[in-house]
Amino acid sequence: MIFTPLEQFAIVSLIPIRLGNFYLSFTNSSLYLLLSTGLVVILFYLVTQNGGFLVPSRWQSGVEMIYEFVVSLVNEQIGKKGRFAFPLIFTTFTFLLFTNLIGMIPYSFTATSHLVVTFGLSLSLFIGVTLVGFQVHGLHFFSFLLPKGAPLVLAPLLVVLELVSYCFRAVSLGVRLFANMMAGHTLVKILSGFAWTMLSVGGSLAVASVIPFTIVFALTGLEIGVACLQAYVFTILTCIYLNDAINLH
Amino acid sequence: MLDGAKLIGAGCATIALAGAGAGIGIVFGSLINSVARNPSLTKQLFGYAILGFALTEAIALFALMMAFLILFVF
Repeated sequence: MIFTPLEQFAIVSLIPIRLGNFYLSFTNSSLYLLLSTGLVVILFYLVTQNGGFLVPSRWQSGVEMIYEFVVSLVNEQIGKKGRFAFPLIFTTFTFLLFTNLIGMIPYSFTATSHLVVTFGLSLSLFIGVTLVGFQVHGLHFFSFLLPKGAPLVLAPLLVVLELVSYCFRAVSLGVRLFANMMAGHTLVKILSGFAWTMLSVGGSLAVASVIPFTIVFALTGLEIGVACLQAYVFTILTCIYLNDAINLH
Repeated sequence: MLDGAKLIGAGCATIALAGAGAGIGIVFGSLINSVARNPSLTKQLFGYAILGFALTEAIALFALMMAFLILFVF
């Protein structure tokens, strides 16, 4: 078996399930998706039992911080009209945050490092946002494709350009998260493999392997930051897209 | 022959990182510039800068994805 840095992303089926031609196995990806969702639900349930405390405990104030963060995000980006979307955005944020952070535990699996998961999420959000746009504005939503004050001569060109950039949102939203998570985990793996090779050679190289170890240590810190940051970026971009659909521009 | 060409192609794909490096430099350079002009806006500007950083970094990761595609898919 060849050990590549991409080996950690292998999907292993834990409980094989076959329904006719469909292959619906319970894989390690589904296990970690369930784990992160379950962790969020259990944490939020335990913390707010009986309405929580007036003077919050440590866990409760952490949960309240996440909640207030998302509330202020939605209010800043969309305003009052976006209140209805708050549960969706809050769920997206907590789900991505916990999936990314669980992936940072050594020997665990990052569900968001697969394009299927992130692209499925971003495509469904994109379709939902477009539907909201049509629901609020009707066919007037098409005016989104022509910037205000643009000369009518340029309309054929501008409409095509805006349409392409609008559709590309769905792709870039998913690919950004996927590429960040995958690149980060691969980088840590490559550098730790480098350190391990140096250590096993022995001699003065084994002493010098402290340097790659330090870099791996620093990178792990950076990756935890990236895990939170990418959840934030995904959420704020969803908010911006939703704002475009509700308020046009 | 094909393997060598693949390696050269993947290496060439990383040239794109020059643009991303300049972009990230511009983002944080502008942040320092604006904070020096108006320190009271630091918190708000930092949020925007982080967002701009993430967007720029994502473009760099597209180049990385191209490199992986060249190496492993074709």
